Amino acid sequence: MEIMIPVWAHMPTPQIARKELDDLRGATVALVDDNFDEPFTTHLEKLLTDGYGAIVNRLIKPLGSAPSPVSLIDQAARSQVAIVGIAL
Amino acid sequence: MQSSESLVMDDYEAAVELFYDRGWTDGLPIVLPTRKLVEAMIAATGRDRHESLGPVPPKGGQASIEKLAINAVMGGCLPAHFPIVLAAFEGMMAPEHNVNGVTQTTHMCVSLAIVNGPVSRALNFNSRDGVFGNGYRSNAAVGRALRLALWNLGGAVPWDTDKATMSHPGEYAFCIAEEEEDNPWQPLHVDRGMPAGSDAVTVFACEGPHSVLCSGAPEEMLHVLADSMVGLGNNNIHVGGQMLVVLNPLNAEDFHRRGWSKWDVRQYLWENARRKLGDVAACGPVHDQFRKAQQAVGRYPFRYDLDNPKTMVPVTQSPEDIHIVVAGGRTYFAAVLPGWGSFGGYAVTVPIRPLAT
Repeated sequence: MEIMIPVWAHMPTPQIARKELDDLRGATVALVDDNFDEPFTTHLEKLLTDGYGAIVNRLIKPLGSAPSPVSLIDQAARSQVAIVGIAL
Repeated sequence: MQSSESLVMDDYEAAVELFYDRGWTDGLPIVLPTRKLVEAMIAATGRDRHESLGPVPPKGGQASIEKLAINAVMGGCLPAHFPIVLAAFEGMMAPEHNVNGVTQTTHMCVSLAIVNGPVSRALNFNSRDGVFGNGYRSNAAVGRALRLALWNLGGAVPWDTDKATMSHPGEYAFCIAEEEEDNPWQPLHVDRGMPAGSDAVTVFACEGPHSVLCSGAPEEMLHVLADSMVGLGNNNIHVGGQMLVVLNPLNAEDFHRRGWSKWDVRQYLWENARRKLGDVAACGPVHDQFRKAQQAVGRYPFRYDLDNPKTMVPVTQSPEDIHIVVAGGRTYFAAVLPGWGSFGGYAVTVPIRPLAT
């Protein structure tokens, strides 16, 4: 019997990070604020900046429960590191 | 769009096991999607097999008619069910339903399909006793087809992109029909703009049904319903959004006999299903932050003073956000199904196209 396959052979897969950083000092970090927990995100930003010496670019998503706009993803992609979401 | 691949196997048991091995099923066995069954499913719609309802979030596999037909066969659908599956899937792909978020949220919501119209009785959907339970092929097969399509095309797989902390059993199948004969009010799909007598399906992402012991005078029934809607554990009381209330046919008859329309019930519930902000704020600062963040993006009305602990906050933004459906047995139980809040999962109603053959 001929059986049909329910998935696509080539589903989109996440891209592998190009390289890992040894140190955050001086590194550019995109911090995508998903608009869920402002105090925590501010704490994280301060930690990255003051504690680790990173240069943080905080990008605010319009809505935490929906995908980021392409323009925001493009901005985040210009940094060496991106934190793209915070689970609660 | 390319056609689906296939494989040839003569060993039935091995073929069923292959679906487990490849991760193509949700934990239950499937009906093998043979070419013959899939072709019959596609022919019933008269639609092009390559037509796509779009990329299914989050992984983006295209929801072609052919792929949806394969998953519908796997779920146990007959060709007559397929137009309902397509309509429901179209509803889930609407932006306001935000299936991307519904799939990936840590909340437990699952998209419920509610079938209305003559097709419901013609295909023997259950709208009466045990409506959320088992025993009816149409409810089970349509519900499971939707879940399998999300699984195989969108990657809605736990530990992968489905981040639900608890989820609920509706992730196997979550489909009911509204009782329209034993119901004094116009049905849900007519409330939502569809013509009377038409076939339509509404999708709404929600928790499983919460039992409400609901009988007596209208004010008594409404008192217990309103209280059941404002539990501090649900998302609605924190950030609004939408909620579903399911009254059984006897409840609806009792309201109607005493002069209450469905709108009256909805309005009363919206005005009374409220809590003091002080109660809500006692849940902790994260809840406050959620509410304020949603207000900042326009998803929570500015007319509520969120700095005053005496403010009575409603469970939804407007009465229209409380959906009322009549279903279940004629007893003294109703159900409340909280939604995901203002993050999405909103109700979308789509007409069901007639069969081509």
